[in-house]
Amino acid sequence: MRRTSSDGVGAAATVVPAPPRRHRPRRARAADSGRGDVRSLTALPWLGPALVLIAAVVVYPAIELVRASMSDYSITGLRKGSAGLANYAKVLAHPDLGTVLVNTVVWVLAVLVLSLVISLGLAQLLGKEFFGRKLVRWAVIIPWAASLVITARLFTLLLDYNYGIVNRFLIAVGLRDTPIDFLGDDRWTMPSMIAVGVFVTVPFTSYVLLAGLKAIPADVHEAARVDGASPWQAYTRITLPLLRPALLVATVLNIIYVFNSFPIVYTLNDRNPGFAHDTTITFMYKLAFKSADKSVGMSAAAGVANVLLILVVVLAYLRVSRWREATDG
Amino acid sequence: MIKRLVAAAAAGGIALALTACGGGTGAATAGGSGGDGGKVTQIKLVAAEYSKDNTAAFWNKFAAAYKAKTGIDLNVQVVSWDDIDQQSSTMLQNNAAPDILNLNAYASYAKDGLLYSSDDVLSDAVKGDLLPNFVQSGTYQGKMYGMPDLSSARALFYNTDIFAKAGIAGPPKTWDEFTADAKKITALGDGTVGYAMPLGPEEAQAEFSIWMFNNDGNWKTDGKWTVNSPQNVDTLNFLKSLAVTDKVTQNNPGKTNRTDGAFPLFQSGKAGMVVGFSPLAATLDKDAKVHYATAPMPTKAGGTPSTYGVTDYLMAFKKPGNQDAVKAFYDLYYSPDQVNTFIKAEGFLPVTKSGVQYFASDPKLSTYLNTLTGAKLTPTDDPNWDRVKLAVQQNIGAAVAPNGDPKAVLDALQAQAQSGG
Amino acid sequence: MSTSAVVAPGSSRTSGPGDPPATARRTGYRAVRPYLLSFAGLVVAALFALPYLVMLLDALRPGGDVLTTPPTLFPRTWQWGTFGTILADQRFRDWLVSSLIVAGTSTVVVLVLAVPAAYFTARHRFRGRTIFLLVVLMTQMFSPTALVVGLYREFFELNLVNTYMALILTNAAFNLAFAIWILQGFFSSIPREIEEAAQLDGCGRFGTLWRVMLPLTLPGLVTTVTFTFIAAWNEYVVALTLIQDDARKPLTVGISSYVTGYQQNWDQLFAASLVAIVPVVILFAAIEKHLVGGLTAGAVK
Repeated sequence: MRRTSSDGVGAAATVVPAPPRRHRPRRARAADSGRGDVRSLTALPWLGPALVLIAAVVVYPAIELVRASMSDYSITGLRKGSAGLANYAKVLAHPDLGTVLVNTVVWVLAVLVLSLVISLGLAQLLGKEFFGRKLVRWAVIIPWAASLVITARLFTLLLDYNYGIVNRFLIAVGLRDTPIDFLGDDRWTMPSMIAVGVFVTVPFTSYVLLAGLKAIPADVHEAARVDGASPWQAYTRITLPLLRPALLVATVLNIIYVFNSFPIVYTLNDRNPGFAHDTTITFMYKLAFKSADKSVGMSAAAGVANVLLILVVVLAYLRVSRWREATDG
Repeated sequence: MIKRLVAAAAAGGIALALTACGGGTGAATAGGSGGDGGKVTQIKLVAAEYSKDNTAAFWNKFAAAYKAKTGIDLNVQVVSWDDIDQQSSTMLQNNAAPDILNLNAYASYAKDGLLYSSDDVLSDAVKGDLLPNFVQSGTYQGKMYGMPDLSSARALFYNTDIFAKAGIAGPPKTWDEFTADAKKITALGDGTVGYAMPLGPEEAQAEFSIWMFNNDGNWKTDGKWTVNSPQNVDTLNFLKSLAVTDKVTQNNPGKTNRTDGAFPLFQSGKAGMVVGFSPLAATLDKDAKVHYATAPMPTKAGGTPSTYGVTDYLMAFKKPGNQDAVKAFYDLYYSPDQVNTFIKAEGFLPVTKSGVQYFASDPKLSTYLNTLTGAKLTPTDDPNWDRVKLAVQQNIGAAVAPNGDPKAVLDALQAQAQSGG
Repeated sequence: MSTSAVVAPGSSRTSGPGDPPATARRTGYRAVRPYLLSFAGLVVAALFALPYLVMLLDALRPGGDVLTTPPTLFPRTWQWGTFGTILADQRFRDWLVSSLIVAGTSTVVVLVLAVPAAYFTARHRFRGRTIFLLVVLMTQMFSPTALVVGLYREFFELNLVNTYMALILTNAAFNLAFAIWILQGFFSSIPREIEEAAQLDGCGRFGTLWRVMLPLTLPGLVTTVTFTFIAAWNEYVVALTLIQDDARKPLTVGISSYVTGYQQNWDQLFAASLVAIVPVVILFAAIEKHLVGGLTAGAVK
């Protein structure tokens, strides 16, 4: 799960340079039309090894996942035969599906938007020269370097009603008289999960955006300043538009990553019965191992649906953002 | 190096193409099978991890002893309880079952026809030594498939300092006394609660079982599901009233797990009573912060208390050529040196008659040992229980919420149980 | 590092409103600004590090004191020996070594496979190029939890269950996608003239890649290394499924042993978790400068 986040920053480098390159005359001889300057066969020795590894390690299990989603299993995991689309039908008919989908939308949107907003600010700060900046950068990297499972465990402790230091603090400073049941009170569970989700998403997002900020040439800002723009005007009219490619990458990656974020939702929610606070990814796991359904077939069907859902959302986002780019001229 | 990687990956691609549609017959023989009809040279054990300090250490030593005795390699994979369902399912989905699997359920595997019965793999000496109630809980359709590895029994733990402070003379014998004591303790204030009740998903079935058994209720009665029997509804209503009306439990008991919820409250000296077992006692003794004692559970009307017993299982999968190796495994495991060493290290209770004698000298265990042979278990011999248990874990907590409806929850669980799980 | 200057003629200088240019030294805000920034930085650092400081304090008290009510920030009893206990444990050291081997080798494999693919896609247009890049991206959408059953079957068939090789191949495959995308971006940003000059000087294709292009892409390589290493270091579910021997488990899997339903060593769990963070932070501290430089370089016109 961590992998999607960690790989993310890199793509910034790809997307960021793309727009300028489009105008480079050099590109002309290599149009992106499908006919190229070399034959596909020539590419094979260069791409082959990577392709083979991906095909062998990722594609096969993906096919197996689809096959499993159309199989009938005993609760032990023994395959009993084909199930056609019955597993999909059962998932669609699941009484908790609606709750889970709503939770997923809330979870993904909230973590995504909050992380982006906070990261925009944090990236500004990290990009500036000040005493202690190195220390701040190292501190920000810690939640990223730590395993998500452990961070989630840590927060169940920090936020606990009886044992949590957060409640102790709130009471000590007089903000509360009684502890808040952050993880057990239905009104607080999702906000608590989102807060932790944002906490672990911000570091990676900030570094993507920091990279984007660094890519903006210095003279652009000089020009803005000479024109008498206020810092806020300079930021919204110049920095933000130029930051769009990096924002795009951060958003796409975070969509995938937050959708598939298992440890936080699962661990922070592990004391709550039922599916009241589950997202699609924990729903999938519980279908297989923790609910009375105990069906790996249904779980696989939910898994396939989850991938399709992410794909649709990502493609839709790409489309919308490209369209905007185009209309903004 | 890279060439080898690429070659391996390429080979993978081909192998996959061949097996993708085959339903995995190729995977049916585990790594240890020595060819057609031959005897295996190695078997695999997937064991659940009870504790970091003892489980892996025991099985590794055991594997060495097994190798010395039989010449067969015993490959041990120790898996955490959180992950073992997923791991065993993954192996079975790929027709790559281990030879021995350690789990808290077996009936579904027996139903699928995957297991050796005790007739195939247990010697008569071992069969005769197992405690009868565990033989019974390990028996599915007349044959025993679930060989018990160890057991535990629950008891009421109470904080003697708190009891003294609240002016309570001794542990409660009836539910009325229990409620009255819990109220006195809660009245002490300072965050002290009368009873720490874990009805969250981790082990809700255990918590409900022990209360249920002490109101003459059960999950099944005479072979029929009685989840929503009047006694059980009464029991769950009682638990709800403790939480909601009398407010003598910790906050939100339906959303409190045992390990990181109820037990630490008792360990912190903030809960007057909790239902515990011997590993909790070991932890309390080690921490040496809380003075406590154990007692039989109070019953609804002051009858004879029942204890709730739990055993986990070592089941053996039928695979070509592994029968003798599996038999040798059980022979060695149930030798007093091995099984009692393991149980002692993990702080659990025996599953054999010889084990009961062996542990009889330990005064700390006497509370449990005396009740062990009469302990009631959950219906692990019914494959439906494997689903019902999960349904209980995911639903029963809702019944003790302020707006919870115990009867409706139990009715739904009964329907679930009757519908074949 | 003069090489990167070639790639990044803008020399990655930010000019947010932040740099103090000679022209703008008139307000009082300018004077307090450095202090404000340092203060803000301190608050941010505290916010991100604080939970882990609490974790450290939890590691330094007896395990039975971690879950107490009411909780205390500082240990009632300091237990200085937790880290010593952890590090003296052979099992923990085995897990640490496994993690280092798997994460380190996975990172190398990713580099070796991604560099040629990225270089070629950056420099050439051919039928299937776009599809290649998209397929690579799509691999990221599958959660490992969903794929783990198929992975097990695959490595079972290959007789690679319970080997580092299985973990290395899996980690490499899952991290290849973004490595290719990162490096492709960096290669694209290197002016063709440099490469052509090298070829005129008699370097072959590989010679050019090895002696000219790679040094220029150093920041990109460093970026790839960091992210692949973190991803492989924290991978859990695949290792859980594919590794059988205790000694071959990576840290993420091994660490779950500390707290079970029957025995809870919270102090050791947290100490072990903190030790597990250290190699990553050391790696990051060592290359942090290049990381941001790297991302920048790819982006400069």
